Formats: sequence, structure tokens, C-alpha cells
Amino acid sequence: MAFLSFLFRRLGLSLFVFVGVLILTFIVSRVIPSNPAALYAGARPRPEQVQEIEKKLGLDKPLSEQFRVYVGDLLVGNLGESYHSRRSINTDLRLFLPATLELVIAAVLIALVLGIPTGVLAGAYPRSPFDYATRFAAVAGVSAPSFWLALIAQFIFFSQLGWLPLGGRVSRDATLFYPIAAQTGFYLIDAAVSGNWKAWLDALHHLILPALVLSAYPVGITIRMTQASMLEVLSETYITAARAAGLSRGVILFKLALKNAIMPALTVVGLSFAYSITGAFLVETIFSWPGVGKYVTEAVLNVDFPVIIAVTLVVTLVYILVNLLIDLMQALLDPRVRLV
Amino acid sequence: MTLLKVENLHVQFTTPFGIVRALRGIDFELDKGDIMGLVGETGCGKSVTGRSIMRLLDENAEVTEGRIIFNKTDLLRLSEREMHAIRGDRIAMIFQDPATALNPLFTIGGQINDVLRAHSPAPAAQRRKATLELLASVGLPDPAQMMDVYPHQLSGGQQQRAMIALSLAAEPEVIIADEPTTALDVTIQAQILDLLRTLQRERAISVILITHDLGIVAETCQKVAVLYAGRVVEQGAVAAIFAGPQHPYSRGLLAALPRPGSRGTDLKVIPGNVPSGLERIDGCAFAPRCEFVMERCHRLQPPLFSLAAEHQAACLLHEDRVHG
Repeated sequence: MAFLSFLFRRLGLSLFVFVGVLILTFIVSRVIPSNPAALYAGARPRPEQVQEIEKKLGLDKPLSEQFRVYVGDLLVGNLGESYHSRRSINTDLRLFLPATLELVIAAVLIALVLGIPTGVLAGAYPRSPFDYATRFAAVAGVSAPSFWLALIAQFIFFSQLGWLPLGGRVSRDATLFYPIAAQTGFYLIDAAVSGNWKAWLDALHHLILPALVLSAYPVGITIRMTQASMLEVLSETYITAARAAGLSRGVILFKLALKNAIMPALTVVGLSFAYSITGAFLVETIFSWPGVGKYVTEAVLNVDFPVIIAVTLVVTLVYILVNLLIDLMQALLDPRVRLV
Repeated sequence: MTLLKVENLHVQFTTPFGIVRALRGIDFELDKGDIMGLVGETGCGKSVTGRSIMRLLDENAEVTEGRIIFNKTDLLRLSEREMHAIRGDRIAMIFQDPATALNPLFTIGGQINDVLRAHSPAPAAQRRKATLELLASVGLPDPAQMMDVYPHQLSGGQQQRAMIALSLAAEPEVIIADEPTTALDVTIQAQILDLLRTLQRERAISVILITHDLGIVAETCQKVAVLYAGRVVEQGAVAAIFAGPQHPYSRGLLAALPRPGSRGTDLKVIPGNVPSGLERIDGCAFAPRCEFVMERCHRLQPPLFSLAAEHQAACLLHEDRVHG
């Protein structure tokens, strides 16, 4: 019961945040000194063309009326239309969002699977060669620019070794001979559901390099956070008590200590997940990955407000969901949290 | 019969301020089935002694000399793997503050289950039964419910009972109780000590009770070793020492206790301070504070002189009274 009320309280709070962002994005898009209608009309429009478009887009109406239409559209899930390409943003995002999510989720999974055990061991053996080596790797992973890593990765694994493809989500062969039936837009899921294993393998091949490059930052930060909090937890009395009780090192490190030490790492990985939705655009560009980062970067260059607003709202939603998830995990791990 | 014997134990810590000599030759014996008190002020080395026996000292600590003989084997010579087999299984430990000694994120039942699983191949159902019995044997109400309770949901006394249940899980022969009642209310204190006495009687467990409280020693222990600045200054049967303390330090400690009728008068204190572990001490560590100090006390470190069958004191005043 305590858990459910905790959940509902967090959900209520999240709604509040979302409405705030909704209002902010609307205001910002209306006070920016640029004329959307002129942009929509294209190069050198006549004044009456601009007026006509203003009317069409509803920009001649009072702000309160515009806001009502904007919220009304959002409530029915309509994100609007790009000023630049005139395409429906819903259609675009249905294409780009799963591509980005697939990439970012893969990167985050790599970060957790690689970073947490490494951090645990580095924390368990402080000042050991392993500790120093992972420290160096972690700092390198966090500070290396992703575009540089991407180029190096392509050079090694594509040009030199020829193990992995250069970019894209699937190869031309796959699109031609065993196309993936789009359901969710997550190629790995779609291919697996339809039993199209050749395409699944092809999609996985394409995913590896960009996911690895994108994971460099979260891997590094996961290692550091886990190492630091393990170091702290391992000095607690209950760890000495566990050792005095004759529990094995494995149980102490990966069960008793890790459960106490994992939260900071999960928190930063969660935030870097949300950040990567738009922040991955360099990696997406270099690997020709048709993702949200690339999409919104173009929109920004074209001052395409509906797209910018839509993506902002989507990213907000992701942030909210990730934070909610982190809070829920914290509550699940730590029985004391639910009472607060 | 001697179960555990600590001989000439020296432990030092490397700190940013220099080397701290925490133990400078500890000697004592724990007899089977006894409760032995290690008593002394903060910093005298009583907890370090407990940790040394478990071989759970911090990384900056080093045992430089001595032996810890348990069942004819020197614990200090065992490999880490051999020592691991002894921890929990033959020698267990309980801690000062049960709130920090229990893992906050695991249920009481889960924590005891972990210990059981580490020490025996019994199936889960049997472990559950054993856990319930353990919880009942330490006097926790409603053991079935206690299984799924987290440490923060218990009172301090209940937490310490749970901790004791945990330490008993693998049926150890020795329990090292490091100030087990210091963090508890006085009434709860008495209950926990009662529990320790009961367990010692019923399960024939030997207990090393580390405390700074002479009252607890008088009530609970058969034997006591008084520690001062990393050495045992007096040891023997509790009755003998409380009746006639022979070392000036123990005498001072007992004189400092408030007694019936002492109301309104100032409590007696021992003047001066405990020497820091950083200082080099050649003679008797207590000499600078001792009212009977002789010139030789600053040069000669007194060994333990036997005064009676079960009474030894490390003071040059007794040099000529040695029983052999």
C-alpha cells in the first residue's frame, strides 16, 4: 500500500512537471523574434501570402486561443506538421524515435553490464592495478569526444578489420531480400517477432558500433559512480559483520554491498539515457542512423518550431519517465524510501 | 580448559600522523564455557583485540608479533581461506550498534538465511525452519513475522537480538561481543546481557565481552582482563579483582565508580591522560599517572605477576610477591 501511494504521488508530481514544460515551450516559441508564417511560405513570399499562411496556421488568433488549440491537439496525440517538410511530425517520430531508443537502450545496457561489475571490483580492490586501469579507462571514456571515437571505431572495425558495417540500421541486402516488417520500429524486436533471423542478425551488426561508441560516456560514469559508492559501502559495519559471519566475498560484494551501492550509478545512467535521446546526434550523423538527434538538429537549423517543440515534449516525457523509473527502483531496493 | 589463548599480541596502525601502536603485548586466556570481560577505556585496544582474533583489521593495521591460539592452531598463521572457514562457523562476532551492523536493505530472515547457506548445504525449507528457531531462541516475538521485517522496523534491543541470532546461525564456539549493549537503553542492556548468559549456559558458548562498563563485567563475566594502553594490566577471576584490585589502574577505575553513600561527594578520578599510541613507551604506560610510581617504573615494562591462582597484575609493586 505504501508503495502504491508512493507511485501515485510521484505520478502526480510528474504531471505537474509536464504541464510546466508544455507552457514554457509554447511561450518560448511565441516570443522568439521570427515569423513562422514567413518561414512556412518559403523564400521571398509576398505579404498577402504570409497573411494567408498566418490564417491557415492560426497565428492570427489571440494567444489564449492558440494555446487552447495547441493543447487540444496534443491531448489527441497530434504533434502537428513540420513547417519545413510539411510532413506530419507524428509520422516522422514514429520512424526516428524507435531508431534512437533502440540505439540508446543498447548503449545503456552495455553501460550497466560492463560498468557495474567493473566498478564493483575496482571498489573492492582499491589502489590495485585493476583499479588504476579502470580509472584510466573510465576517464578516457567520459572525456573522449564521441565523433572522434566513432571515426576511430569505423576505421578499425570497418576499414581495417571489415567486421562491422559502416553505418545505417540495416544493409541494402536486408531491405531488398528480407525486409523487416515494421511493427514497433525497433528492428531487433520486429525481426525477432516475425522470425526473420537473417535480418535480426543484420540489424544487430549495424547496432554494435554506434551503441558501443555511444556507451563510452555512460560506461565511464557507471564505473566511477559504482566504484566510489562501493568504496563507501564496503567500510560500513554491516560489511564487517557479514565478513565476521563467514559470508563469501562474492555474496558480500555482488549481493550485500552492491544493493546498497548501485543507486547512484543507476541514477546517472538514467539521466544520460534521457540526455542521449537528442544528444546522440553526432553519433547518429556519423553512422547514418535515422534518429531523433539528427531529426531535431535539422529542425533547429531550419527554425522548424513545431518539430522543435514536439521533440522537446518527447524528451521531457522521457526524462519524466526515467526519473519515475529511478525513483521506483530506489523504492524497490530500499524499503526505507517508501516511508518518506 | 583453555579454548582461546592470546599471547604477546602486538598490532600497529600506519596513519598519516605516524605509526600508532594499538596493542603492545596483549596476553589472556579464554576458558571453554566462560564469559571473559575485556575492559578498558576508549582507545585501550579492546576492540582491536577482538578484530585481530577475527582477522578483520583494517588494511592499515598490521600484527607485528604474537600468537592467537584457538584449538591448538595459531589463527595468525592460517591462510585467508582457512580463516574464512573459521569466521562465523567457529568464532562469531556481535557489534556495538546493531542498527549499523545489520544490512538495511535485507530482511532479518534473509540475512540469517545467507549465513546459514554459507555454512551448510541444507535445503531452503530446512534453513527457513532453522531461522525461525534462531529467532525464537533469542527471544524475538513472532518469529514468522520477523522473517520479513527490515532492520529499521525493529527497536534497538530487537535489532541486537536479531544480530545475536545471526551470529549463532552457524553454531560457533566463541562469540566476540564488542560493546553489545553500549548503544542500548539500560533496561534493554540488562535483557541482552541476560540473553548472552542464557546462551552461554545452554549452548556452552564461550564469550569475549568487550566493554568499558565495570558494572557489566561484575554482573556478567567469570573472568576479566583490564586493558590499559594496549596491554593487559590485570586479569583474573572477577570476584578476586573486584574484591581486591592489585594494579593501581584497576584500583583507580574501581574507586572512580559511584557507590551508595557517595552522593554529594566528588567522584574520584585518575589524574592525567591516556598516552597516545604514537608515543614510545619504555616502562609502564601507567607510570605518569600512578600514585605509587617508582623510579624504575619509567624504565622497566612490568610483566604479569601471578598473585594468586587466578589473579595476575602487571605492576612492579608485586615483583616480590610472585607465586611462580
